[in-house]
Amino acid sequence: MITRNDHLHIDGISKNFGDVKALADIDLKIQRGSFVCLLGPSGCGKTTLLRIIAGFETATTGRLLLDGNDITQQPPHKRGFGMVFQSLALFPHMTVAQNIAYGLKLRGINGKARRERVDELLNVIQLPLIADRPVSALSGGQRQRVAIARALAIQPPLFLLDEPLSALDAKLRDSMQIELRQLQQKFGVTTILVTHDQHEAMMLADELVVMKDGAIRQSAAPATVYRHPADSFVADFLGAANLVDAGQVSGGAIQLLGRPMSIPSKHPENTHLQAAVRAEHITLRPAGASDGSAVGTILFMRDLGPLTELVVDVAGENLRVRSTNAASQGMAVGSKVSVIVDPEHVSVFAAS
Amino acid sequence: MRVGLFPNEGGGSYRFVIMALAAIGVLISSLPVIIVTIMSFSASDNTGFPPQALSLRWYQEVIALFTQADGSSAQSVVDATLTSLLVAVIVMSISTLVCIPLAYALTRGDRRIRTGMELLFTLPLVFPLVILGIAFLLIAESLRLDIGIWRIVIPHIALVLPFVLRNCLGAMSGIHPEIEEAAISLGASPLRAIWDVVIPLMKAGILAGLIFALIISFNEFTITFFMYTIDVSTLPIWMYSRTVSSLDPSTLALSVFIIFADIVLIVLVDKLIAGRASLF
Repeated sequence: MITRNDHLHIDGISKNFGDVKALADIDLKIQRGSFVCLLGPSGCGKTTLLRIIAGFETATTGRLLLDGNDITQQPPHKRGFGMVFQSLALFPHMTVAQNIAYGLKLRGINGKARRERVDELLNVIQLPLIADRPVSALSGGQRQRVAIARALAIQPPLFLLDEPLSALDAKLRDSMQIELRQLQQKFGVTTILVTHDQHEAMMLADELVVMKDGAIRQSAAPATVYRHPADSFVADFLGAANLVDAGQVSGGAIQLLGRPMSIPSKHPENTHLQAAVRAEHITLRPAGASDGSAVGTILFMRDLGPLTELVVDVAGENLRVRSTNAASQGMAVGSKVSVIVDPEHVSVFAAS
Repeated sequence: MRVGLFPNEGGGSYRFVIMALAAIGVLISSLPVIIVTIMSFSASDNTGFPPQALSLRWYQEVIALFTQADGSSAQSVVDATLTSLLVAVIVMSISTLVCIPLAYALTRGDRRIRTGMELLFTLPLVFPLVILGIAFLLIAESLRLDIGIWRIVIPHIALVLPFVLRNCLGAMSGIHPEIEEAAISLGASPLRAIWDVVIPLMKAGILAGLIFALIISFNEFTITFFMYTIDVSTLPIWMYSRTVSSLDPSTLALSVFIIFADIVLIVLVDKLIAGRASLF
């Protein structure tokens, strides 16, 4: 069903490259004005999906509906989607202003209107003074902003970004993420960004679409995907999760780290389960207190400043733990610790 | 301290060998130019070297050849020069017009096809020129058709295509497909994107190819020797017949003019392709 807020409807899109299935029956509805991140490891089909939306690839089957209109067969230059490419693809033989003005020129916007729009965008990206510079004279962050301005200058219905921040160094990438999010909100443009960086996806997205092997594994708000991963792949891909064997369901309880734990589970009795526990949801206490919790040995410990990264061996399972107070409690490599897992933060899946 | 890339250990003997080899190379490649230039200033009637006395009389002779109508020779030097220039310009234009789309298609298309095509277009270079000349002559004669200037233009195109193609390919390979896609995403049709983005970025390579075509065609002798007729002949053919009939230094003076023009063009090529297209 099409509602007024569904801006783009990806309806059963599949793509085959020869015998290789790059995308299998993708269904996705993208809300007007929302920021959607396609997240997944390389080769998961996220870039192919973006290129199909842009029109640079044709889908083997399925339809694309923009505001209810079928645009599947529309050539890319008629779609008018602004796109930022991985290589940024600025035109090296043009100045910054000419780059930003190119799409306007093609739309027959000339003279004063064009100059004003270019100036407006240069102000938005906070680079009002570089209009006449050649793009080769720009820094990485400036190029980034110019590429974004060039794509937004044409007031696109959809704003598409293909791993645009991957070439920047970590610090700059961080500030560009915030800037990009603010720009998107300011323009209110429906945005689809492809990334393999889960932190970037969490920073930017209203809706996170996690993909693997050409299929969508989960599509929800970032916090939901993080807290309630749909399957073990999503749990593992987002953040530092420990995937541990959870035995079989019996009497509404599972076995976690050799201890029974009651988990409200919709899985039937005798299903073999796997549990995901995030590294920051494990609490360590000095061993000794007989509270019935599992006991482990610290194998690795590193103080990272805001938190301490540990690896704890519990009954043969190596658990990653992020603790905020391990160092202050006098723990060290070799220490015996009680490992406490909050059942609320455990996700269980049927073992694959 | 930076380690010198120009080795000078062993009492500087490496350095000496390298310098000596370089000097021999420069000498061999520039010797003909130097001797021709010196002899063109000779005052004597023959081409004995070194000249006994110097004069500008052969330059005056060349200027006279171009300015005075020469009824006696079958084809005057003016006609030959004009034919040469016309051939060179046609060859230059056609080969470039062929190579730009070809380079685009080969770069964006299947890699295996590209390798095969490049090899195919390079064939005229490895073929002995004399055999190529005979082959083109056989083709032209079997046509039984007077194709005028094209009997020289067509073999020249075959000869310059590999050079022009290489330059265009070199220029194309530096253009990321995403740049074209960026233009298309902003609303340019695929052809418009090529015109607005690809062609301007290929410019240096295209110009280098143009100038190469011009120089190679203008100086071509071997194939043209088979193809020329009484009506259609080029400057190198004229110079050859003049040298055979009377070996006086006027052809040498003419050569100096051509060498000078070539050097100007080569310097231009060098400036254009600095860091972009490749010569070979």
